[in-house]
Amino acid sequence: MNVVGKIIAVHSYKGGTGKTLLSVNLAAAFTKRGKKVCLFDLDFRAPSLATLLKVEKADHWLNDYLNGTCEIEKVLMDLTDRIHNGGKLFVGLANQSTEAIRDMSAKDRKWEMRALGRLLALRNSLLDGKGIDYLIFDTSPGLQYSSINAIVSSDLVIVATTSDRSDVDGTKRMLKELYELFEKKTEIILNKVLEAPTRSGKDFQAKVKDIYQVPLLGIVPCFCDILKAEGNTIFAEEKPDHPFTRILDEMANTIEKSA
Amino acid sequence: MGNITVAKQETLGKKPLQILEKIRENLEKLNEKMEVMIELQKHDKKDLQSLSSEAPLDVMTLLSMPDHLRKTAMAVCRLGRATADEIAEQTRRARAVESAYLNQLVIMGHLKKERKGRKAYFYVDRESQG
Repeated sequence: MNVVGKIIAVHSYKGGTGKTLLSVNLAAAFTKRGKKVCLFDLDFRAPSLATLLKVEKADHWLNDYLNGTCEIEKVLMDLTDRIHNGGKLFVGLANQSTEAIRDMSAKDRKWEMRALGRLLALRNSLLDGKGIDYLIFDTSPGLQYSSINAIVSSDLVIVATTSDRSDVDGTKRMLKELYELFEKKTEIILNKVLEAPTRSGKDFQAKVKDIYQVPLLGIVPCFCDILKAEGNTIFAEEKPDHPFTRILDEMANTIEKSA
Repeated sequence: MGNITVAKQETLGKKPLQILEKIRENLEKLNEKMEVMIELQKHDKKDLQSLSSEAPLDVMTLLSMPDHLRKTAMAVCRLGRATADEIAEQTRRARAVESAYLNQLVIMGHLKKERKGRKAYFYVDRESQG
């Protein structure tokens, strides 16, 4: 069984690099390609998937699954109707209440160890059990327990980075001191790139490869439309001809081919 | 004396493979005990209990481990429960090497070991701790 790229963690050094937007639209791109996809919000410190997907409330959260108080099936929310003519899309949400955020930030090492066990078990329950093709983890930025748990449980780490200097430096450090130590297949998405049309040539790609020493999954230019959408749009569904949708579809295609 | 020699030869003739396997099993157990003793010496501890009875294998612990042990521990995380043979298959290192690392991780309190017949299984005891 070849499982390369089946579980994908979308991570970054800094916040605001576009992890959630990329996660949602990558999940949508896979769904449009007829795949069965699960998208999980593992950013327990600042959950945002529920708002972005306009889900008012959930009976069960990923917090409950990781706490061991419910099975993963209870957490899955079927949002297939959001993507027409595609496969299936399920999401698992993080509880946005202040109490839940506080509770999650006060967990100890033993709890985190059990949480890792539950994330590792998803390969069996979702990929093998429910026939999910791709499980995408949207994570917290930086070296958080929940993010590293997600990275350890994944087959592929996609690192969203911008041209901000502190982000570039931090990303380079994480590549060497985090992903490499766990021997994770890692690819970079360069997001919010200015003057992308003139810089997206082979020279630019080679330069990026030279800086990060890992494959470049894609370059996403800075689109005003994304800012205008204010985090509301599943581009693959609502703007199928937008360049952003096409870039994400190309990324999904690359990941699919490498699996 | 002569009878004993004949009896031994007969036993050997009947079950040479089983006897060799038994010897290997005993050597493996001896090897494990040696590893425990070496580890205790390293940490200047008198008994196994005081070394580490409870050391959760969380990701920060994984990160701070030496590379050779992390590779083994990661393979156990991936497989859930595995023998040294299965770990060796994943890491593409020799079985004897993995056996030594696995036992070291047991001694450090990160893994649990359970014998079932001739096979020893290693796993992370996530549920029973605390």
